[in-house]
Amino acid sequence: MIYFHNVSKHYDNQTALRNINFSIEKGEMVFITGPSGSGKTTLLKLIYLAEKPDEGDISIAGWEINKLRESSIPALRRNIGVVFQDYRLLGNRNVFENVSIALRIRGVNDKEVKTRVLDSLKTVNLRQRADSYPKALSGGEQQRVVIARAIVAEPTVVLADEPTGNLDPDTASGIIRLFKEINLKGITIIVATHNRELFRNTGKRVIRLDSGNLIGEEVG
Amino acid sequence: MVAPYAFRLAFQSVLREKWINLLSTLTIATGLLIITFAVFSVYNIDAATKKLPEKFSIMLYLDDNLPGQELENVINTLRKDSAVETVRYISRDDALKELKGTLKDANYVLEGLGENPLPDSIELKLKKEAVGPETAKRLATDAKKIKGVNEVEYGEKFLSSIYSIKVGMKVIVLTLIIATSAGIIFVCYSTVKILFYRRTDEIETYKLLGATRGFVRAPFIIEGALIGTAGGLLSLIGIISFYYMVLLKLTLTIPLFKAILFPTNIFLLLPVTGLFLGITGAVIALGRLRF
Repeated sequence: MIYFHNVSKHYDNQTALRNINFSIEKGEMVFITGPSGSGKTTLLKLIYLAEKPDEGDISIAGWEINKLRESSIPALRRNIGVVFQDYRLLGNRNVFENVSIALRIRGVNDKEVKTRVLDSLKTVNLRQRADSYPKALSGGEQQRVVIARAIVAEPTVVLADEPTGNLDPDTASGIIRLFKEINLKGITIIVATHNRELFRNTGKRVIRLDSGNLIGEEVG
Repeated sequence: MVAPYAFRLAFQSVLREKWINLLSTLTIATGLLIITFAVFSVYNIDAATKKLPEKFSIMLYLDDNLPGQELENVINTLRKDSAVETVRYISRDDALKELKGTLKDANYVLEGLGENPLPDSIELKLKKEAVGPETAKRLATDAKKIKGVNEVEYGEKFLSSIYSIKVGMKVIVLTLIIATSAGIIFVCYSTVKILFYRRTDEIETYKLLGATRGFVRAPFIIEGALIGTAGGLLSLIGIISFYYMVLLKLTLTIPLFKAILFPTNIFLLLPVTGLFLGITGAVIALGRLRF
């Protein structure tokens, strides 16, 4: 599903990732962990093509990133749902509209948009907040709106960058439980987090990064 | 299904950014109104000068007592010229009758004359497309060389002035139209660019979620089209108001204004012109933005 082969990424004179090799199978749920600056966000950005690798090969759902034309990037991104670290919610749109964007860019009709957005909001337990604006929501609720937006179009992969960064432990474990439920539907989940508590006793694979190097794998 | 959503986004943006859009619309309307008045002037000058060929003629005054054969020769030579439409011989007696007819009640001024002082003459009418200072001058010069022609007369200066004014006005108006159109396109270009920069976060999010360039661009092009069309409609309202509130009232007090033509069918194109200029500005702006 996702293959990294000798992937390196540099910013100016700093190395963000060095010779990274791993693969993730379809339907897996994987945690990527490491301290701040270890390269977790860069790794996710390489997957959703916000960045391009300087060296090495990446393959995502059969797409060879190095051979991908600029015009094909949107099509690849439509296979991926992203839970951004900074949420990226549009402040002037309500919850329903924010979630619906993922479907609008795919050209889904109004009727289907309504059904799927409400279903998605039900999954994250936010159906009653459909008309609220992001400012009126708590951090946990905003995070769940972003998750709803990431899953509404039924992508093959969901990437989550520090999805529990600003949340209290109870809300954080609720979010991880939600990811597990989504994973049960066969969607591949990759969660980048520095919080070891999130993957403890999950039984899921954990990839460890440090200073841009992949230093090992374990089971959480 | 993307298209209706693009329209929805464009309308939402028009309302959200109402002040900048209103300002742009008013600027476009003013620009189009300037173009409209320029076109209005040229249209009327053109219409006025269109009647000129029918009225324009060259008068050839002939030598006294020209023999019939020579007169025939003069007429035949003139008829051979491709620019000539009609050749009319006016005898001195006919000329006097025409003069008396023209003077009507004031023909007493001719009473003191003993003998008819008018010469025999020929009136030349030119073909419509040939009426112009150069052809008239060439024809007058050629005619003067014909044996039996004593003098040639036509409104040389008048004709030249009219044509100079017509050409000059057309150049000025064309320059004005080009400059103002470029100004309108620039207004749309700047508006779309500002709107784009104000929404960079939103656009970045769309892109990261998989939006195509078309999805991102479409609302801006629609918005450009909307402000352009709105500007066109406002200028149409402006010119119609000018017609009913100024021109019609002036016609009542100064009958000369009745001669002014109001080309409604041309003015109805204003919203379409605004639409075209708005889209052009938006397309240029989006073409120059890197996203």
